[in-house]
Amino acid sequence: MVRVREAPVDEVTGRAPHRVLGVSYGYHDSSACLVVDGKVVAASAEERFTRQKHDANFPTYAIEYVLDVAKVRPDELDQVVFHEDPHVKFARVLTTVLAPFPSSRLEFVNSLKAWLGRKLWSLNQISSRLDVGPEKIGYLSHHFSHAVQAFMGSGFDEAAILIVDAVGDWACSAMYSGAWRDGKPVVERVVEVAFPNSLGLVYSAFTAFLGFTPNDSECSTMALGGFGRPVYADRVREIVRALDDDSYEVDQRYFNFANFYKGAFTQRFVDVFGPPRHFRDKLPFSCFGEPGEISPDMQRFADVAASVQLVLEERILGLARQLHAKVPSKNLCFAGGVSLNCVANYELMTRSPFERLFIPPDPGDGGTSVGVALYASALAGHGAPAEMPYGPYVGAAFDEADDVAMLDHLDPKHVLQYLKRGLERPTSGARLQHQSFDDRAALARAVAERLVAGQIVGWYRGRAELGPRALGNRSILIRPDDTALATRLSRHVKDRAPFRPYAFSITSEDAPRAVDLTPDQARMNRWMQVAVPVREEARPRLASAVHVDGSTRVQICHADENPAYHALLTEVGERLGLGAVLNTSFNASGYPIVQTPAEALSMFARTDMDSLVLNDTLVWKQS
Amino acid sequence: MALLDKLKVWFAVKLAWSDEARLAEAVRGFQATEADGVWHLHRGLARVRDPRHRAILFAHSLEEEAHAEEFAYTYNQIGERAMTPATYERSDLYGAAEPTWKLFAYVHVGERDATDRFRLIQQTLDESLLKRALSRIVSDEEGHVDLTHRMLIEMGATDRQIRGEVRRVRLARLWEAWLRVGKRVVDRLSTVLLSVSYFLIGPFLFLFARRRLAARFVEFDNCKLKRL
Repeated sequence: MVRVREAPVDEVTGRAPHRVLGVSYGYHDSSACLVVDGKVVAASAEERFTRQKHDANFPTYAIEYVLDVAKVRPDELDQVVFHEDPHVKFARVLTTVLAPFPSSRLEFVNSLKAWLGRKLWSLNQISSRLDVGPEKIGYLSHHFSHAVQAFMGSGFDEAAILIVDAVGDWACSAMYSGAWRDGKPVVERVVEVAFPNSLGLVYSAFTAFLGFTPNDSECSTMALGGFGRPVYADRVREIVRALDDDSYEVDQRYFNFANFYKGAFTQRFVDVFGPPRHFRDKLPFSCFGEPGEISPDMQRFADVAASVQLVLEERILGLARQLHAKVPSKNLCFAGGVSLNCVANYELMTRSPFERLFIPPDPGDGGTSVGVALYASALAGHGAPAEMPYGPYVGAAFDEADDVAMLDHLDPKHVLQYLKRGLERPTSGARLQHQSFDDRAALARAVAERLVAGQIVGWYRGRAELGPRALGNRSILIRPDDTALATRLSRHVKDRAPFRPYAFSITSEDAPRAVDLTPDQARMNRWMQVAVPVREEARPRLASAVHVDGSTRVQICHADENPAYHALLTEVGERLGLGAVLNTSFNASGYPIVQTPAEALSMFARTDMDSLVLNDTLVWKQS
Repeated sequence: MALLDKLKVWFAVKLAWSDEARLAEAVRGFQATEADGVWHLHRGLARVRDPRHRAILFAHSLEEEAHAEEFAYTYNQIGERAMTPATYERSDLYGAAEPTWKLFAYVHVGERDATDRFRLIQQTLDESLLKRALSRIVSDEEGHVDLTHRMLIEMGATDRQIRGEVRRVRLARLWEAWLRVGKRVVDRLSTVLLSVSYFLIGPFLFLFARRRLAARFVEFDNCKLKRL
């Protein structure tokens, strides 16, 4: 059982609380969320517990955790809601694998094995695994789940809702209107674009073409685009055609969305864009200094990335215009996997007809469990728009005492023997020392000193964040102006390609000195979801956390949202003149963000990190 | 049994793995085994209070993590695509109430099996990146076998208890292997049945499917909370 440090359950109200469990699993990023009386009590992705990135299996451990936080047994749940309609999705899968007959036998066989063996019975599986009666099990279609995920936590009374994803049950992108009537949410469909017209799948196909892992490394495509010019944009526009109504259509002759075993793209695609990149061919681009020698082929890949990025932004803006024409609201809620594209989000924030944008903390599939649970709770009469917004800090928290106690018994020789590949010896030694702090301010001061001295610091505190962004509870931090340090971080800690930029966190007080945003836009930039331009004059102070195009994914940190992290940023500000740090997620390449103190210590010991904060304990390496 | 194992490994190494894709897939499996070990060690770690025992498990997990990384590196040198780790549904080996020495017994059996198998593969392989990786890993794993055995004794488990638990773990692993074989047989059978079905229903349905996929919009409204 997970050891939970704090159990943020509401005070007893005198009546039995209404409890809804949201569940998502089956394709990628399984998760669970518990909502009690319309408020998110806990939510987590399964991958955090199983250490398997994008884990799609039944979220056993995530469910165990969220129920444990509220001390709820499965039989005490009022409702369990699943994030997709397995019957409709099965029909779509069957249609997809039959259409290319007779060349899709392998797809047919493997898809049907998965579906008839397991996925089609997801709802029954939930019922039997939790021992909850079928009368308590509900479900929503996949894109509708995304729609309620985007709307329910927004705090808006009414909004237009845009969902852009790879594919759900049948839809690939979709538009809805959301409003509250008589205390209940009313989310209605405007239009749903059907499979295989998918912007998400197109972007993933380009990701595969560029030698990255589709469904995982789309962020690399986005980053690579910063080094290119969109010279192939017209060709991409021909493939993803804009229609008169601002909608789009994907030319299927370039993709294998139905015959996925044949690869994501066709020979016709290669005829247009040239041979694909092999994943072992090193990309010479760097965010932190002089690039290597850039061959025409490597420049071609950057140009292709820039082109598909540009066209994606155009099509999303087109969809936003189309949506605004049908739902003329000031508010836009945006979710689905494509909403993780922070460069496109900037276009949406600044150039769409909407005034306010809301993207939930985890806008991908992992966050649908939150949306469906909030929605079911609200339909049952619990919660109002002002009460439902939730922050990212709803994951598990762990006590560090036992792990810190073990450090005194750890042999430094052993640590040295199993360092991360490519690292001969950690810069600051291998003996792990520690000190506990009763005073949060003293801890913030000590860590700020270390950051300013050029250390790489792991910052692990409190409850884990929901979603893919580390927002100051499971983060690795360095001072934001040192590009050599950022190179060390990429090479010897994160194992990350140098063309991928970092982002920074900044106090809400100092943010106007670094980025030029309206108050509404600043509100949208609390969770690193939008790549915004950094002020020219602030760039030298933030050099290691700014992309070559001068943009960054900023986290504007407010004291009331994350007091401990805000205190640290303030201390850094007193020393460097700007309350900002480079903030990257606390995980190694290919692994989920660390969950327990032991996992944090493991990464700390094996890599070139210098110091580590585990809740109220500071750990450091000594020679 | 040993001869059968040798034969199995010889056939795998000399015949099946001459195909690089199959070799890469095997390495991916080794990576998953080591990563799985790390996960189980961390789950065990969370239940152990004695700081020294925790430190031993933690140090052990660092080694297994390094091994997983070594296999991932090897895969990325021989595979056609960057490695995406294999994933499967995790479950704990022991309940929270069970004594720690039982966890060590499980780890001991797992390490011994892995050592024997990796050593056999390493000896059969020709000079290669994988052979060099396995040489390093086998020597670590041999250390683990000794260490876990020492820990079992140190934790006060009697010889009889250890033998009993090791036997239980072995039986459980045998049962898992049997289930895996059964699953493979069913998998092959279902492949045949579904292939036949494909050619039986495909000719009648593929035109309908193509027409359905030509639609630009989803025609039905599926936007309500439904019940099982």
